[in-house]
Amino acid sequence: MALLEYLDISDLAVGLFFIGLYGAMTQRNIIKTIMSVGIMDLAAVVFFMLANYQDGAGPPISGTPVDRMADPVPQALMITAIVIGVSVIAMCLATFMRVAYRYGTADWNILIRRLEK
Amino acid sequence: MMTLPPTGPLHLLVLTPVTVAAFGFFLPQRAYQRLLFLTNVVVAYLAVATFIEVRWGADIIELVAQWREGVAIKLVADQYSGPMVLLTGLFFLGTYVFSTRADYMDKVFLFLYMLLQSAILGLFLSGDIFNIFVLLELGMLTIAILMMYKKEKQAVYDAMLYLMMNFIAMAFFLLGIGYLYRTTGVLDLAMLEQRLALLESPRTVIVPYAMILTAVALKSALWPLFGWLPRAHGAPSAPGIVSAILSGVQVKVGVYLLVRLGGVFSPIIDAAPFFAVIGFITAVVGFMLAVAQKDIKLILAYHTVSQVGLIVFGINLGPDVAFWGGMYHVINHALFKGLLFLTAGVIIDQYGTRYYSEIRGVLRRMPIVGLAALAGVLGITGAPFFNGSISKYFIQQGLQGNLGELGLYIINLGTILSFVKYSTILFGPPTPEVKPARDPYIAAISAVFGLAILVGGIFGGPAVALIYGPEYAAAGAFGLDKVIIFVLTLALGVGVYYWIVLRIGAFLAAIREFKFNFNQVTVFLTSFFVVLLAYAYFAV
Repeated sequence: MALLEYLDISDLAVGLFFIGLYGAMTQRNIIKTIMSVGIMDLAAVVFFMLANYQDGAGPPISGTPVDRMADPVPQALMITAIVIGVSVIAMCLATFMRVAYRYGTADWNILIRRLEK
Repeated sequence: MMTLPPTGPLHLLVLTPVTVAAFGFFLPQRAYQRLLFLTNVVVAYLAVATFIEVRWGADIIELVAQWREGVAIKLVADQYSGPMVLLTGLFFLGTYVFSTRADYMDKVFLFLYMLLQSAILGLFLSGDIFNIFVLLELGMLTIAILMMYKKEKQAVYDAMLYLMMNFIAMAFFLLGIGYLYRTTGVLDLAMLEQRLALLESPRTVIVPYAMILTAVALKSALWPLFGWLPRAHGAPSAPGIVSAILSGVQVKVGVYLLVRLGGVFSPIIDAAPFFAVIGFITAVVGFMLAVAQKDIKLILAYHTVSQVGLIVFGINLGPDVAFWGGMYHVINHALFKGLLFLTAGVIIDQYGTRYYSEIRGVLRRMPIVGLAALAGVLGITGAPFFNGSISKYFIQQGLQGNLGELGLYIINLGTILSFVKYSTILFGPPTPEVKPARDPYIAAISAVFGLAILVGGIFGGPAVALIYGPEYAAAGAFGLDKVIIFVLTLALGVGVYYWIVLRIGAFLAAIREFKFNFNQVTVFLTSFFVVLLAYAYFAV
């Protein structure tokens, strides 16, 4: 179990990223690929949140002593990244809906064959 | 000491277009369009003033809202970003005037257009890597909507594929930024560069390097990641003005970031040979696919891939003269490809078809548009006295007696080959039922772009010195030997076109019809990442 003790949560986030990438490379279902890419995005967010992690640090708001505050930069940036991720996924799903109505399939391979020449 | 025109703070450049477009949205259509015209004039003025300040004064660095350096959002105008801002400001003004009377200029379109302008200007001015991430995402969403604007044919599919490919790339980019932040604790580009140079073991940053540069390579449409570009730039449902902006300015964001972010990592990792090779492959694959197309917008779009490859090839060769040749080609390509896309949009509207075989006699039917398109073709093929010849000459100077020089001739032959095909639409008797265009705005802007291409060629050397600073003699580009080489290449191009290209129609159709699906594209992206990672591992 030495390997498991060596790993920390950031490594799990990287693992999650590559699981998402695997999904995007292998899944033929469009919804599943959109979900895979969403997982990649969120894994990157989790990784970033843990970038300057300190044990026992408090939230960076008034009330916490300055020396015990967690690094506020990743939190401020990641709230932006999460919002962006949500809107891009929403946009992907919306375009997928139009595609599904038009071509009647959720499979990348069948979809390519049904495109107009 | 000459007096410099006053400039505003840099954030005005980024925020003016989007703020005015958002707050003016309640106005009626006509008033909104006039308001945005004024905004474009103001932004173009600010861009010119900023460029002059940077060129003859000092670099401008602005820390937004007076936070301390390293925490604040930083905007930087310097030797690289100044000319790009100038180009963007003037290009948007030009395209705006060009389509004054076009029917697609409704309020939603205008708003998206201004939003894209803000995003592009912000990207050129950003001095902070997270800001670049946010603006890339903003630009990506805007472009996806503009791509399906007229809702034709497979527009929605193209937009979905474009979104997903770029979203994966941006996930790579974000994870790369996370790694960088964990290693260095800063996001500011200048401070990143300082701290990376101090790292004890540079191999700790090869993973973020490969992630970020893979994303940037996708943005600049390098082989094998260019699949999204023809879909976006040649999208049948996007008006010509959108294609012109995407090909003229937006794709240069990728090239610019390649220079900028490559520079940040330059103290520890130098991947210039890698990108020079990739650039060359991109240029060759790009023109091959361009020759296979039938749709005139797709010919131009695949050709953009080829030209971006040439630019990346030039700036990564090593010698300074080739680097500045590549940078000058960025501006030249914006001029001639912008002009070609704008005129292609008009031609498609007038003839009601996008297939090159059904369009004939543009020169006789629309003389000014046709002549402007001809100037664009001469510029892009590197005809002597047109601007393309100067930048290609500079790139060639960096290759003296090298095997790469042969590569440059191959690329140029391919360019000529695809434009022999394109220029068949200009000549011959016009299709009878077409009515001539009578739009002074279109004629005027086409003429301005066409003249700029000629002036940028005749005064090539001084133009590089004026825009970027370094002075190189361009007299060699006008030599008799260059003219002879061009004529010979042209003859060879015409010969190859009539004897070979026209006889392998079935093969070309197979290339044209062949499409990769999303899973395969993701595999390409992952492979590119792995190869770049391995390269960085051994190059450090």
